[in-house]
Formats: sequence, structure tokens, C-alpha cells
Amino acid sequence: MTSTMSFRWAMLAPVLTITGVAVGFPLGYALYLSLTDYRLTSRGAPNFIGLENYLFVLTDPRMWNAFSNTLAYVIVAVALQTVLGLTIALALQKQKWIRDLTRAMLLAPMFITPIAVGLTFRFLLNDQLGAIPAALRSIGISIDFFGPGNALMTLALIDVWQWTPFMVLLLLAGLESIPRQPIEAAKVDGASAWYTFRRVVLPLLTPVLTVAVLLRSLDALKVFEYVYATTRGGPGIETETIQYFTYQTGIQFFRLGEASAVAFVLLAIVMTLIVILFRRLQRSAPR
Amino acid sequence: MTRRTNLWSVARALLLWVAALTVTLPLLWVALASFKSPAQLNDPGLVLFAPNLDNWARVLEAGVLDAAGRSAMVATITVAISVVAGSMGAYAISAYKTGGSATRFGILAAQVLPPAVLVFPFLTMAYALRLDTTYIPVIFAHLSFVLPVITWFLIGFFDAVPRSLEEQARVDGFSRFAAFRMVVLPQVLPGIGAAAIFGFTLSWNDMFYGLILAPTQETILPVAIAAFNTFRGVELGAMSAAIIIAVVPVVIASFFIQRRLVQGISGGAVKF
Repeated sequence: MTSTMSFRWAMLAPVLTITGVAVGFPLGYALYLSLTDYRLTSRGAPNFIGLENYLFVLTDPRMWNAFSNTLAYVIVAVALQTVLGLTIALALQKQKWIRDLTRAMLLAPMFITPIAVGLTFRFLLNDQLGAIPAALRSIGISIDFFGPGNALMTLALIDVWQWTPFMVLLLLAGLESIPRQPIEAAKVDGASAWYTFRRVVLPLLTPVLTVAVLLRSLDALKVFEYVYATTRGGPGIETETIQYFTYQTGIQFFRLGEASAVAFVLLAIVMTLIVILFRRLQRSAPR
Repeated sequence: MTRRTNLWSVARALLLWVAALTVTLPLLWVALASFKSPAQLNDPGLVLFAPNLDNWARVLEAGVLDAAGRSAMVATITVAISVVAGSMGAYAISAYKTGGSATRFGILAAQVLPPAVLVFPFLTMAYALRLDTTYIPVIFAHLSFVLPVITWFLIGFFDAVPRSLEEQARVDGFSRFAAFRMVVLPQVLPGIGAAAIFGFTLSWNDMFYGLILAPTQETILPVAIAAFNTFRGVELGAMSAAIIIAVVPVVIASFFIQRRLVQGISGGAVKF
């Protein structure tokens, strides 16, 4: 029995060691940094300043601006992805003709590097050179996609283009693992397709749906590349997201202590989000 | 009843066509732009024109292929380490329930961390250890998100292997590790292949860590592409060509793994 014990921990050891070095250590070090006045440019040991960075960050209107931008972005993007993803997954599930090709094609965007996606849409949506504004102008519509009031939602739509496929992938996997009997039974009982979907398929899909929304929200919270590729936070600070704000504070202004504090505030928010979603999941999961 | 069924199948086909066009048109348009001259780029509707290769020549001159090579190297090393450590760990978690559900989900906790938390420690350590001109910091940063995903993904594939297979091997005189390596591992080879390709695209696509941690003069592909983002009309064509260079390999790779991805996810990832 002891040999089983040591064998299984020996098998797990590489993962634990690498995770410790690549995640655990930096995490602890970042916590330390957030309590100091460390600057990338300064020489000598950083001073311990307690919670000063946190106080500064939590009272900084720009941090809260970045926070509410990120939140609006995540809500719009993930809501649209959920609706579109579910619709497309349902359509794909029934589809038989050139099935693999269609699936591969529709899933493709999620494999593309986000910076390329951001630059592609910066180009496509550009006021003078872009194909989409040109097409819209020809039917009499004029939208400045990256202008004031529009830019953040444009970024959310870019997210929808790239990450709806991820939703489709997870929901398709979920739909294919749903047992057939309850659906057949509902059909025999004469339930309409819509009723079967609402009352049978959707409840069975809830756990997968929750995981998909959770994973997607966590990822959308980290949005950086689209901002970097298109607006760089503008117009004004309308599209400054948390990750972009942290990058600016840490890399452009060299204030690593403050940047780490922002990152930990984000982490606290993320953890809260997860706890709430997992509670929901546990309540709704059929056991 | 049949009329409604027909209506739904028409709507379904229409939806899939619109989705397919939404996915492909932007990419086709960028591909087209990569063959346009600066003057032709000013006319976004232009589809028929004499293609020229100037943009491609400029991109190759700017060393985008070298950046792609460096990205491939970073991704290969990251994936190699992740697959070895990840398959061992996933097996320990799947077959022996090591550490209970705490390890099963603790593995994913790393996924929750915003990259902004981890990147500054990596940066200061890179300077302190004088590793800032190497790719070691980037590889470690990529391991922080590739390894958990690969491990998580593989748990589902190991779950599907019957335990009796390994027990039989033990009876036949295999050691525990030999039973794992010679008997169980071959069973999950397709899953490992899909996980490796998926992990490769994750590393290949990352820009945030690369931007901050990779050597500035010899950077990795996503950062090199972003460098064309000066948005003078002249650079647009070159940027398009660079985008195509980054996109084509992963889209081809995704084609081969999409079926196994659905399997891997429905096997382990979304079950509780």
C-alpha cells in the first residue's frame, strides 16, 4: 500500500513542482511586490509600505474606470456568445452534410492569435480603408466603430467573433453527452420541439452551460490584445481595461508595486465571481 | 408538423451559412489585402486586381519567419514539458484519485490568475538571474497556463481507460511505471496528440507574456505582428501578410483536432 502511495505522488510530483515554480512562487512574489514601492527603474531594495498601494489603487478613478469598462465588456461579449453559441451548437448537432468541414470552419477563429484578430478588425473597421464601413456607407449607414461611445462595444463584438466558437465547442460536447431517453420520452408524450428544448434539454445542459460561461468570463476579463491592437485605451480612457491598465502602470510607468496591487484586486473580484457561479452550479446540478 | 420542421431546417441551414461567411470573409479579405499595392489598399471593395508579392517580400525581410521559428521553439519546449509532466499527473489523478478532487480542480486554479499577477515577478526574476536575453522566462510563463490545461484535458482520456488493463499488466510482471508507460499510455495517445496540438496553439497565440518577457530584439511571432501596427497605409499590406503567416498553421492544426477536442471536453472537462 505504501508503494502505491509513493508511486502516485511520484507521478504527480512533476506537475506539482512545475506549477509551484511557474505559478506558486510568482504569485507569492507578486503579493510581496504589491506591498512595496518597487519601481523597475529604481536601484536598491524596495521599501515595504504595507497596504499603501491598495489604498491608492482603490481610490484611483482610473482603476474603477478600467474595472467598469472590463465588466461591461465581459457582460456584453459573454451574453452574446452564449445565445449565439447555443443556437449554432443546436444547428450543428442536427447537421449531417459536410459535417466535419463545417465544424472545423466554424471553430477556426478560436485558434487564431488574438493580436491578429484585433489587427484584422482594426483594418476591416477602419473609417477610410475598411471594407465594413465602406459597405455600410453604400447603404447609407455611417458608423465610426472606434469613435466615442462605440469603441468598447466594437471590442466586445471582436470578442464575440473570436470566442463564440469556444462556446459552440463546449455546448456541442455537452449536447452530445446528453442521454437520449428523456428527449425521446418527451417526443412520445407529444411535447413540441420548443417545449422539449426548454424543459428537457436546457436543464440537462445547465452544468455545461455554467462551466462554459465561467471559463469564457474568466478569459474575457483578461482582455488585452484587442485593446493593444485597436484603441490603446482610447478614445480618452473609454476602452482601458483592467489588464491594459495594469500593463501601462507596470511596463510604461514602471510602477510594479502598484500594478501588482491592481492585479490582486482583479484576482479578488475573479474569485468572488467563481464562488458565486459554483454555488449556482451546485444548486442546479442533478446529482 | 412537417411544415414547421422544414422551416426549422431552412433556418438552420441559413444560420450556418451566415456563420460560415462571418468567419471566413474577414480572413479572406486580409489574405486579399496582403497581395495589394498601397494604392489598391485605399479601395476596400477592390477584389479583382493584379496581385503583387511586395508585401510578402517586406514581411520576410523584416524577419517574421525567424519570429515564427522562435514562437515554434518556445511552444515546442513548453508542450514537451507539459505533455510528459501532464500525462503522468493526469494518470495519478485519474487512476489513483491522488489528492482527491482538490488536485483535480486545484490544477485549474492557475487558469484563474490574471497574467498581470504573474508577469511582474517573472520580469524581475529574469533580470535578477540575467535570463532576460533568453526565452526561459517566456517558457516558464507559458507553462503556467499550458500545463494545467493539458493535464485537465488528459484526465478525461485516462478516465476512459479500463483499470483492468493495468491490473492485467501488473499480473504479467510489469512494474507500476512500466504498466503506465507500455500499456496505459498507448491507449490515450490520440488524446495526447490533441492535447499537444491544443497546447501548442495556446503558447503560439500568447502575446501578453511575449511582449513583456521575450528579448526585445528577437521577439516571438504575435509581438512581431503587432510591430506592423504603425497604421501608416504602407504597413497595412505587410501586416496582412504577417497575419496570414500566423493564422494558417493553427487553422490547419485545428482542422485535425476538432473532433478529439469535443471528445476530450465531453470526457473530462465539463463533468463533475
